[in-house]
Amino acid sequence: MSTLETSAPVSPRASADRRVEVKGLSKSFQLARTTIEAVRDVSFDVRRGEFVALLGPSGSGKSTVLNMIASLIRPTGGEILIDGKRVVPGKATPNVGYVFQRDTLFPWRTVGDNIGYGLELSGVPAHERRERIAECVAQAGLRGFENAYPSALSGGMRQRAALMRTLIVEPQILLMDEPFGALDTHTKIDMHEVLLRIWEREQQTVLFVTHDLGEALTLADRIILFSARPGRIKDMFEVDFVRPRDAVKVRETEHYAELFQHIWHSLGEEFVKGRSA
Amino acid sequence: MKRYSALGTVGWQVLICAIVLSVWQWGYDLRTRLPWLVPDLLDPYFISKPSMIFDNFLIQSCLTSKLGAFNGWFNGDFGKCLARNENNLWAATAITLKNTFFGFVTGVVSGFVAGLILGRSDRLSAIFQPFITAVNSIPRIALAPIIVLAFGIGDMSKIVTSWIVVVFLVFFNTFEGARSIDEGFTNAARLLGASEWQITRTVVIPSTMAWVFASLTPAISFALIGVIVGEFIGAERGIGRLIIESEARGEASGMMVAVVVLMLVGVVLSAIIWRLQAYLLRWQRQRGAE
Repeated sequence: MSTLETSAPVSPRASADRRVEVKGLSKSFQLARTTIEAVRDVSFDVRRGEFVALLGPSGSGKSTVLNMIASLIRPTGGEILIDGKRVVPGKATPNVGYVFQRDTLFPWRTVGDNIGYGLELSGVPAHERRERIAECVAQAGLRGFENAYPSALSGGMRQRAALMRTLIVEPQILLMDEPFGALDTHTKIDMHEVLLRIWEREQQTVLFVTHDLGEALTLADRIILFSARPGRIKDMFEVDFVRPRDAVKVRETEHYAELFQHIWHSLGEEFVKGRSA
Repeated sequence: MKRYSALGTVGWQVLICAIVLSVWQWGYDLRTRLPWLVPDLLDPYFISKPSMIFDNFLIQSCLTSKLGAFNGWFNGDFGKCLARNENNLWAATAITLKNTFFGFVTGVVSGFVAGLILGRSDRLSAIFQPFITAVNSIPRIALAPIIVLAFGIGDMSKIVTSWIVVVFLVFFNTFEGARSIDEGFTNAARLLGASEWQITRTVVIPSTMAWVFASLTPAISFALIGVIVGEFIGAERGIGRLIIESEARGEASGMMVAVVVLMLVGVVLSAIIWRLQAYLLRWQRQRGAE
């Protein structure tokens, strides 16, 4: 190898492959005269098409990190680059979709109109909108509920509709903040199937916040483990189960059990710390 | 809650009406026999009685002559009777309704717009807050004489009085509604690429609607109160004017007719609002697949 090559900076190919770059990110809140340090010096990269889970106990700042990436919260330190461009707080980044912990479907819009909301904003004509809504409704298994209001739906159905409202505008990067946290175990696993199938087809880059290790293992390529407050990156784990994965069967493999045990121990320490903090 | 049969509910309502109307109609006749039971207030001189009110209604509305004979529709007696009295019951009701409507609409629109703007702007609400609190502390009806003085005894003073009692009610509700919007909704809209104006149109206004509607039923009653008070103070026409005239003549039946008409008007207006709300806020009603 020539010296010229080894001393060369990061190749353009490699940097183009990095969709999300988080550099030295910190966040402190002012709460009744005390400063709470939620996130301390967090750095990581996410490759194009990678599914990354941010795992940690509650209060570990993982959601805060996600919300900073989503431009919802202004960081107190560090920076975030998406496709090489700096994220501006308060300004939506194009190509980034966000799924909330609790579904934020608009209760005054029907399920169909909720799903089509993003298209309506960008002025997609009504007939084209109808077609694409119908596709999404079918994909989410919500046929027959297009004209119902969200209040008439079950929690799982609502979250599927919320997912479709985000996906209909075809974001290349998906940020998900414990999207299935409020669902029961079975509904949750159904949602994992739905999400895995969509992700396999569309190959979005996904950042998925969760406190559920099983969920992280089922879905992700990589798990970033957060420590109890102040949130820092404690560890990272590659999750190398074969794709495409089956949300039910993957949990039955030996390798799953191994990885689960391995990470569980580390996560458990943080839960204990989080409790005493 | 236990569900009662509709017939049972209606049966009770009819019974209550029958008792109240009977006591009103015949209660005072018992006074000679049971003076300790019947209060002075039941005296028809003060509160009239249903049969007299009905007769008076027929006369005031020109349906019968003062002697009790029905005015013909086709021989022109009815028309002549209406023409004789510029402030007959029909004309008075129409003018009061018209002024109520304008007071209500201007009050709702201006209250809504102001509430929305101040509710969405921390800066503006901080600046205007003390003024709003101060003005809101004035019992609005106390301004009615000033308004009549300023705008004269015509329709304008009634509309302004009505407006001023409605506008604050709607303003405060809209303001609270605009402040208490779930941030999840605005964030969701923003992250889907909505501009500020799109957020206002598709999130702020619809989610404030429930608050606005909560104020509309009282607002329509208030609008009517504003107009009537304005008419008490100085007017040539309107139901409030009818009441004042009957009072000057010591005629309880005449006042009661006006009161009953006002009650009916109030009920009809509230029913319209209620219908509108049931339609526009229909998303609130579907509950529970779970």
